[in-house]
Amino acid sequence: MATSIVDLPTGHTPYPPITQTHADVTRDVVGTLSPPGKGYLALLAAAVACFVIGAATFLFMVFKGLGYAGYQPPIFWSVFITTFVFWVGIGHAGTLISAILYLFRSPWRTAVYRSTEAMTVFAVMTAGLFPIIHIGRQWIFYWLLPYPNARYLWPNFKSPLMWDVFAIGTYLTVSSCFLIFGLVPDVAAIRDKVTGWRKWLYTRLAFGWQGTDNQWRHYSRAYLYLAALCAPLVLSVHSVVSWDFASSLIPGWHGTIFAPYFVAGAIYSGIGMVLTLLIPLRKALKIEHMITEYHFDNMAKLTLLTGTILFYAYGMEYFVAWYSGNTFEQTTFWRRAFGPEWWGGWTMIVCNAFVSQLLWFRKIRTNLTALFVISIFINLGMWFERWVIIQSLSNDFIPYAWDSMNPTWVDWFIFLGSCGWFSMWFLLFAKNFPIVAIQEIKEFIPMPRKSGAAHGGHH
Amino acid sequence: MSESPQQPMNRRRFLTVVGASGAGAAVLSGCSTEKVQKLVPYLVQSEDQIPGLATYYASTCTECAASCGVHVRTREGRAIKLEGNPDNPISRGRLCARGQAGLQGLYNPDRVRTPMRKEGGAWKAITWDEAIKLLAERFGAAGAGLRIVAGQARGTLTGLMNRVAQAQGGALVRWEAFDRDAERAANQRTFGRGDLATYEFGEARYILSVGADFLETWGSPLEQARGFAQSHGFRDGAMARHVYVGPRMNLTAMNADEWLAPRPGTEVAFVLGVAHAVVARRGGDPRLQAAVATFTPGAVAQATGLAAADIERVAGEFAAAAPSLAVAGGIGAQYPNAVELCAAVNLLNLAAGNIGTTVRFGADPDAREGYAAIRRLQEEMAGGAVTAVLFHEANPVYALPASARFGEALAKVPFKVSTALVLDETAAQCDLLIPNHHALERWDDAAPRAGTFALMQPVMQPVFTTMHTGDVLLKVAQAIGGASAAAASAPSFEALVRATWQQLAAAQKAGDFEAFWRAALQRGGHYAAAPVQPVSLASAQVDATPAALGDGEFVFTAYPTSMLHDGRGTNRPWLVENADPVTKVTWHHWVEVSPATAKRLDVREGEIVRLASAAGTLEGPVYVFPGIRDDVVAVPLGWGHTEYGRYAAGRGANALDLLAAPAGPALPYVTTVGVTKVRNAFRALAKTEGNPRQLGRHIAEAMPLEHAAAGYTIKQSWEKLGNPEHEVNTEAELQAIEGFEEAFAAARELGNYAGEQPMWGLAVDLAKCTGCSACVTACYAENNIPVVGEEEVLRGREMTWIRIERYWEGGTDGQPVEGRVVPMMCQHCDAAPCEPVCPVYAAYHTPDGLNGQVYNRCVGTRYCANNCPYKVRYFNWKAYNWQAFPEPLDLQLNPDVTVRARGVMEKCTFCVQRIREAQHRAKLEGRPLRDGEFTVACAQACPSDALVFGDMHDPESRVRSLKQSPRGYHVLELLNVRPAVTYLAKVNHRPAPAAAAGHGAEESH
Amino acid sequence: MAGGYVPGVLGSFAHIDAAIATITALRAKGHRDLTIYYSHPNHELEEAAGHGVSPVRRVTLLAGMTGTCAAFGMQIWMNRDWPLVVGGKPPIAVPSMVVIGFELTVLVAALSTLAAVVIFSLLFRAKGRVVYHERFSDDRIGVFVPATGAQAREYQALMQANGAVEVQHVEG
Repeated sequence: MATSIVDLPTGHTPYPPITQTHADVTRDVVGTLSPPGKGYLALLAAAVACFVIGAATFLFMVFKGLGYAGYQPPIFWSVFITTFVFWVGIGHAGTLISAILYLFRSPWRTAVYRSTEAMTVFAVMTAGLFPIIHIGRQWIFYWLLPYPNARYLWPNFKSPLMWDVFAIGTYLTVSSCFLIFGLVPDVAAIRDKVTGWRKWLYTRLAFGWQGTDNQWRHYSRAYLYLAALCAPLVLSVHSVVSWDFASSLIPGWHGTIFAPYFVAGAIYSGIGMVLTLLIPLRKALKIEHMITEYHFDNMAKLTLLTGTILFYAYGMEYFVAWYSGNTFEQTTFWRRAFGPEWWGGWTMIVCNAFVSQLLWFRKIRTNLTALFVISIFINLGMWFERWVIIQSLSNDFIPYAWDSMNPTWVDWFIFLGSCGWFSMWFLLFAKNFPIVAIQEIKEFIPMPRKSGAAHGGHH
Repeated sequence: MSESPQQPMNRRRFLTVVGASGAGAAVLSGCSTEKVQKLVPYLVQSEDQIPGLATYYASTCTECAASCGVHVRTREGRAIKLEGNPDNPISRGRLCARGQAGLQGLYNPDRVRTPMRKEGGAWKAITWDEAIKLLAERFGAAGAGLRIVAGQARGTLTGLMNRVAQAQGGALVRWEAFDRDAERAANQRTFGRGDLATYEFGEARYILSVGADFLETWGSPLEQARGFAQSHGFRDGAMARHVYVGPRMNLTAMNADEWLAPRPGTEVAFVLGVAHAVVARRGGDPRLQAAVATFTPGAVAQATGLAAADIERVAGEFAAAAPSLAVAGGIGAQYPNAVELCAAVNLLNLAAGNIGTTVRFGADPDAREGYAAIRRLQEEMAGGAVTAVLFHEANPVYALPASARFGEALAKVPFKVSTALVLDETAAQCDLLIPNHHALERWDDAAPRAGTFALMQPVMQPVFTTMHTGDVLLKVAQAIGGASAAAASAPSFEALVRATWQQLAAAQKAGDFEAFWRAALQRGGHYAAAPVQPVSLASAQVDATPAALGDGEFVFTAYPTSMLHDGRGTNRPWLVENADPVTKVTWHHWVEVSPATAKRLDVREGEIVRLASAAGTLEGPVYVFPGIRDDVVAVPLGWGHTEYGRYAAGRGANALDLLAAPAGPALPYVTTVGVTKVRNAFRALAKTEGNPRQLGRHIAEAMPLEHAAAGYTIKQSWEKLGNPEHEVNTEAELQAIEGFEEAFAAARELGNYAGEQPMWGLAVDLAKCTGCSACVTACYAENNIPVVGEEEVLRGREMTWIRIERYWEGGTDGQPVEGRVVPMMCQHCDAAPCEPVCPVYAAYHTPDGLNGQVYNRCVGTRYCANNCPYKVRYFNWKAYNWQAFPEPLDLQLNPDVTVRARGVMEKCTFCVQRIREAQHRAKLEGRPLRDGEFTVACAQACPSDALVFGDMHDPESRVRSLKQSPRGYHVLELLNVRPAVTYLAKVNHRPAPAAAAGHGAEESH
Repeated sequence: MAGGYVPGVLGSFAHIDAAIATITALRAKGHRDLTIYYSHPNHELEEAAGHGVSPVRRVTLLAGMTGTCAAFGMQIWMNRDWPLVVGGKPPIAVPSMVVIGFELTVLVAALSTLAAVVIFSLLFRAKGRVVYHERFSDDRIGVFVPATGAQAREYQALMQANGAVEVQHVEG
């Protein structure tokens, strides 16, 4: 790109190893699109199956009522909102890596940003379903949109839920555009390599891209601005989500720390998910030489950073609850740690605050097996973080009304369905689109020169 | 859209009204609603039916023996609500939970819809002609073997039954489950007259109740609650003290300033101990002095296990207070020596000079035997002497202990008939069912006490093809002919009632009968002053030896609850789901054990224990209850029906199974049992309560009498007690409040919001509120609130727009256990947290200060409910509106209130439909709305007048003056949400002010 | 190759310096109508092509500002259209509008930027179809110069001289 990252920060080992030529890169990446094996098909089938189960459960709920999910007043939000926040959070790592690290000229993003960006889009697509799933009258969810209607009534823009509608909507739109936009030159490259129906398909998806000087000129500029626009979304979207909670007055929700705390958590969970996805993926697609320890080491460092921020946030929550002298806050946090649902609170703290600290050790950061295991803990922990936050509802101001969370099969099947939905899209993407950004990798490989300055050369 | 502030008579409402009234017209056009399938428009409109306007009829409640006067609100020919009759001296315009649930007796889906005959064990519908023919045959043949068992029947019908039975040489048996037999026997002994006294709780300065649950089932609960509120509710710096003596804390004890639990069965000694002190002070009849001479505080302490100091103090206080009042005879404390206890109380009242002041004789015209009579019947049946029996409003097979073997005896009777409206246990054993009209469908009368003559009139066409038992008997008598025909000859029972009232008119020296009759119909009866008859001591004999209870490890008491009474309430969903005021359990029976006992038996709440007595065994889930002696276990009555409809049958177990039915004037409800834990058996209790402690959150406030009398505010009182209240102090907090004021002012400038507006508000006086939950039922009835069932209550999904929260105070570190109640409904906050979070404006603020909830607009994000600090918003998780009103219960629905669909949020609307109705009436009459010309359903029902509703902007309004009381406070005031509901702190008249609340954040589950 | 292409000379280069030399030479001859193909963004080639900064940035800026105004305008108008009081707050509560203001800024800006790219890079191309080779998206650089007759032959020679791997003369 025009303002590109070719000029590496001094002292950085150039990456990837320059034994490759441009031709190799194209070949390898196109290679990832080779016809799928049994394993892949099995996974895809499983994902679709999960999705179907979830969808069926959702329909059941639409016809029979939310009551079949495990809501127990005063807990009026439960697994659905937990899962909603979980998936939104996942998204953020993608945008962070693809946009913010791009602006920071961080070279290691190149090999991984495409996959994380795809993850972002699919995660947000998944998250977007939940507000609809969770409302009482799903069939009129569109009443939340500001459109002229027979009720002569506009939505209430003071409601954080309206902010959500716009934040999530914008995030989904912009990050999808960013993904597709980045894909265009690569799709063109594939178009020129494949034959048959794929040729037909990619010809259309390439939007007539030829890589002319004129196209590149606008493209590079626009990409920069898109990145610049995505960057603040990373911070804003989850802040807005956090205000769904923070702008209420429920003890345990009503905290100024929520926005930064949520953003850190989001990135933490996102990178956790990236690790979970990439570690097996790079093997399956035989691109270990493109996505290497170097990348995982860096992502692990990011995890460590955000994990430590979370550690601080958790500590701060408890401190403030105690220091405020506010009996409601105190009770909530006391019960979070020692109440009937203590296990939730501790799962969250152990998986997020403690496990992440293992990453101080380079040995662990570069041991993919260890990383994979840790990433699973992260996913678990972050889901529970949201569960625990929602659980603040179970013991708020009026003790007489207290109750505890108690999900049913409906909650779990719909959660399963969301995982299926997400995996389905990701698997389809991985097998049909370049999971590594061809054009950006190429940037690292100097063009051969007649003067023979650079190595490489051609066949 | 009656919940929206726009004028209610918009097109949609107009259509619903016309539609509904069409149905009404069809009903009126004279056939039972079962047959009505299509809407019939008014062709000739009956002049008392105006579509959309309610018609009220005066009648009398038949849910218990008290016979309160009611107003029946009918819309388009359907009774839709029962309210108290202001003219009636007993109810004075209020009505208890049981009374209001009478409607669900009328519309009960399990009512017997036609006469039925049992053939080969199966019920077969027959015509009324067949039924009457059959009855004539068998009764005619029965001769002296004919028995008519009448429970509640009183007035004209009783007379008719008596004549019909005696014409055959048979007999009328008067028996009702909770007949006050012990009192009658005791009065017979002490004063030589077997009738009951009436008690003036309102005048007593000191109330000593020895096991009499006068706020629940004993006597005339509604009237007594009103009196109790008068004397015990804090007024002009003073209030009576109420001491309750009994083994467990029932609702009455929970409202006492002091609860004493002597060794069960030794209450007699305690009462005589108090009498001893009184006599020592005031002297009295030598027989009396002799009777109490030996009961010195020391001796009584010895006998009862209470501290001599307490006995001395209570005795001293009782002796000093005048007038005072002592009552006994509650079912829950009806020991084998119940008669001795009542006699002792008689002596105490006599010694204290209460006879004639707070205890008045000569008011009860209706002396009867009760238990003794039904036992005699049982023996006669067992002996084969009875050839035909008719049960009317009596269900002895259920309401007598199994050990009484009534069912077996009944099986020996060749011909058994029941007039039961619902197939109950007794009716199930009968051969013929002749379902009576419901009280709201028939002519009837009653004389609950001298001077009070209550009238009942049909307020709507019968729901089913039932027939008035009076008419049946008349027809049968005519068919039998001879003596019977002569004894019972009248064109109809209505005519018979009129005849009775003609005599009454003559007796009352009323000139024109028609005028008298019309007045009686309008006022629900005729109310004259009852002369108090002087009584004198006939015998001071009392046997103070402790009751012989048996040798079981635990004392067991089966006690009635204010909801189910003797079990007749168990088929009324409103009563079954309306949580028990003390334990907050719904839909099932429970076994009460004290925390210490629970620890000893190693049982937790919901674990099953087996109680075994000499008479039988019973299993049930444990309820750990701080208000019960360690050596006592208790089980509520009213559960364990085997018949009696879908809501009652097969629910829980019948506590009577553990009782023996010995000979004697009264059935003892106390015995002894052994308790064993049933391994690995569990049944979650559907409680509406989360955490029983308020953790020092100032939700249910109370202050000692001295503070209240000194005019301290809550905060001052807390200062005095060493618990300084959180003060708004930080700069930020002050600014926030300032900002709110400005914003609020700005908001008030807008279109609809500008100009003079009323500001609706509610005041709740916790010094009067007893927690009886009549308001909850009223709300169910007024606002079409669905009953959700046990499974949903277990998930905390009950829909009670107003709930009574009950918090325990003390009970730890030697403090006395105190139960505090606080009615919690939508607080209609000015700065409502629920409003701004709704993305679709379903929750918004109306110009007159209501917190509006527009159901049609609600998409169900439920954020409002999350953000409501009072947790008073309720969500339709399932299609409750389809499940909760099986035909014909749906006929009760209030046409002025939307029936909410699945997926929307709902909550208390301050009965907005009533507000609008009143506003429009005032507008049509071209006058301003007067304070108190209407009120909300809960306030209207409240027997103790604890709730007051009105316009806070009206300087004259009652609610405004109440809100300025120093006792006034807002729940969770520190949130600055500006509630429109003000609570007036409860006032504790304790010997020594006990510090309340303040439990910090420790676990109290 | 099929007809209908813009007549001219297409040189395919494996070496970047060769391509740049050619481009410079052709631009020296006054050619502003070159079409240069390359598989990935590259400084040197962009400099050689000698374009100014893309006008996309202006679009982004203007669109962003439009978004902000639209957001606040919408909220203020809709709140006035049917004023309802919630929680005692003033109907026009500016702080509550910030979030949506921000989101719409980003949304409108992003979408307009995309639109701009499409318009600029696809519509304002050299008229007619310029011949293209599949390896340009792989590892070759392509330089096309519209020319006919003698001039075409001259450029052919030039490219070969500069070390084009392959030179193709496109007839009209």
